[in-house]
Amino acid sequence: MGQPIIQTENLKAYYITQAYGVERTVQAVDDISISINAGEVYGIAGESGCGKSTLLKVLLGSYEPPLTVVDGSVTYHLDDQTIDAVNLTPEEKRSLRWKDISYIPQGSMHVLNPVRKIRDTFHDFISAHRNVTRKESMKMTSSYLRDLGLPDKVMGSYPHQLSGGMRQRVTIALATILWPKLIFADEPTTALDVIVQRGVIQMLKEVQQREGSTLILITHDIGVHANLADRIAVLYAGKLVEEAPTRTIINEPKHPYTKFLIESLPSLDGREERSSIPGRPPALDHPPSGCRFHERCPLAKDICLTIDPEMISVGPNHRTACHVVAEELSHEPAI
Amino acid sequence: MTLLRQYILPRIVQWFVVIFVGISVTFLIPRLSPVNPVDQAMGRLTSFQTMDPEATLQMRETLLDLYGLDGSIIDQYLNFWGRLIQGDLGPSFQSFPTPVTEIIGAGIWWTIGLLGTAILISWVLGVVLGSLAGYFPQMWWSKFLERVVITVYPVPYYILAFVLLMLLTYYWPVFPLVGGSRGDPSFTWEFISSVLYFGFLPALSLVIGGTAFRFIMAKALASTEITSDYVQYAELAAVPKRKILFFYIIRNTMLPQVTDLALSLGTIFEGALITEVVFGYPGVGYTLYNAINSGDYNIIMGITLLSIVGIATASLLVDLIYPLLDPRVRLR
Repeated sequence: MGQPIIQTENLKAYYITQAYGVERTVQAVDDISISINAGEVYGIAGESGCGKSTLLKVLLGSYEPPLTVVDGSVTYHLDDQTIDAVNLTPEEKRSLRWKDISYIPQGSMHVLNPVRKIRDTFHDFISAHRNVTRKESMKMTSSYLRDLGLPDKVMGSYPHQLSGGMRQRVTIALATILWPKLIFADEPTTALDVIVQRGVIQMLKEVQQREGSTLILITHDIGVHANLADRIAVLYAGKLVEEAPTRTIINEPKHPYTKFLIESLPSLDGREERSSIPGRPPALDHPPSGCRFHERCPLAKDICLTIDPEMISVGPNHRTACHVVAEELSHEPAI
Repeated sequence: MTLLRQYILPRIVQWFVVIFVGISVTFLIPRLSPVNPVDQAMGRLTSFQTMDPEATLQMRETLLDLYGLDGSIIDQYLNFWGRLIQGDLGPSFQSFPTPVTEIIGAGIWWTIGLLGTAILISWVLGVVLGSLAGYFPQMWWSKFLERVVITVYPVPYYILAFVLLMLLTYYWPVFPLVGGSRGDPSFTWEFISSVLYFGFLPALSLVIGGTAFRFIMAKALASTEITSDYVQYAELAAVPKRKILFFYIIRNTMLPQVTDLALSLGTIFEGALITEVVFGYPGVGYTLYNAINSGDYNIIMGITLLSIVGIATASLLVDLIYPLLDPRVRLR
């Protein structure tokens, strides 16, 4: 822990489309600066359509038009090298992927080739990056699967012969077989039932801790974040609204949106009805002026309607972007 | 074992049923038609000369026997199967008394050779080029190929065939106008090379049309395939493009493609009528054409039977190959 492994600065990534001469811009990632340390589990939370997956695509360097990085930078710090992730050549991508940077996709149900046995898919992925014979890659695969507690017969199966949870575990193994330093996981537990979810979370933890890899975890499920993440960033409508260590964000959320998000979680002893956040997230082709959350915010003031709040520090490693919080802070007596 | 009992056996039974029904219908249809082949034949024979009534009657009986038209329809049907099982399809009327089997046998190998080769070549070309074009839709050669195909595809086959024929046998005479080979069939280079030489032009005309069709189909299949999660994921992991093309894209489009291939191969036995007529190729298509012109029912029947068996066998093979192509079929 300590050294940053990936950093973004004022990152803006928009979907720019043009249909019949009408240009449409969707500001899916707007002015996001984050710094993720090596060996840390960094959670990115937020509801659907808030730009989580877009941010991940840009971080991963895997995006194509209409998604365009308009401004800002993404930098990897790997083996004392500084790599600009926005302008990667195909060769650079090939050499980075899987060996250094890997990806566990959303909806792993269909990422395994249905007409190929699991062991052949592993061989395809391994031999793309390592100069190995089939025998060697088979040995790597079977010992890795055994370490992760997956049965040996998985190797000779076709994807449709495996359960959803098993397929997800196989995909995690496939993504991490070459021990990448940086692992991105996009909704790894969505679409799995709770029991299977626990197994998958356990496995992600194991994989991450084994070599001290960095795991960037994207999910809307705060429960999963609480289980895994060291730090959590909350996105709303393409903006970073709050970032803090997991314990802090769950115990003392500052931003009204984060408060809603945490309050909507069921607690063990709570029997009362959970409240939901009023309204729905804004469309990002015409985002609201000022603070993007003001339309749904019960504390909104005049200033929130016009001025975009700045990121302010509210504690150790804790920052948020909210006028209301900023005002409270300025009224507090200085100690 | 369950695969054999639940999957293979029912399909073999189905194959027998299809052939049985098909052949029975082929037997019935001409008999339901108001045209009596015996009267027609009598008309042909007596149009040039007069015969005495005694001889006419005798002739009618001989013809009835020969055509298998004596007795009740049930008797005829049983006799028909009896002869069929012995491989007897009766004599040709036109070139009496040569057996139909011999006439079809003379043409069928030419047709199988020509169409089989042309279908295989155009299938492989179409699938590989079409999938390539679908995988790299932005490349200049992909766009170029697609333009060419879209231009060639709508040209009616007979026009394409005639254009090739005129260009390459008349204006620039590099290929022969008619025929299938030079010399007697034998295993010599001279004979084999002449077969290739004579077959080149008709095969080329078939390959052009067939490739265009399969290119369009393969491109469409590949362009849905490249949006699938497993192709995108393999792309992201930088799996080599060649591997993705063959094992991720083409491999997943094999189900419809192999169906198309097998059914095309099944239609071989009908011959390629236009090709064989235009290029004067001695296959069954040409035989069928002559038979229809001269009302040679036995030959028409024979070729129809062959194509029923051909198509039924092709779809049987497709069904038997499916589980090898797609592991998911084995579950059903």
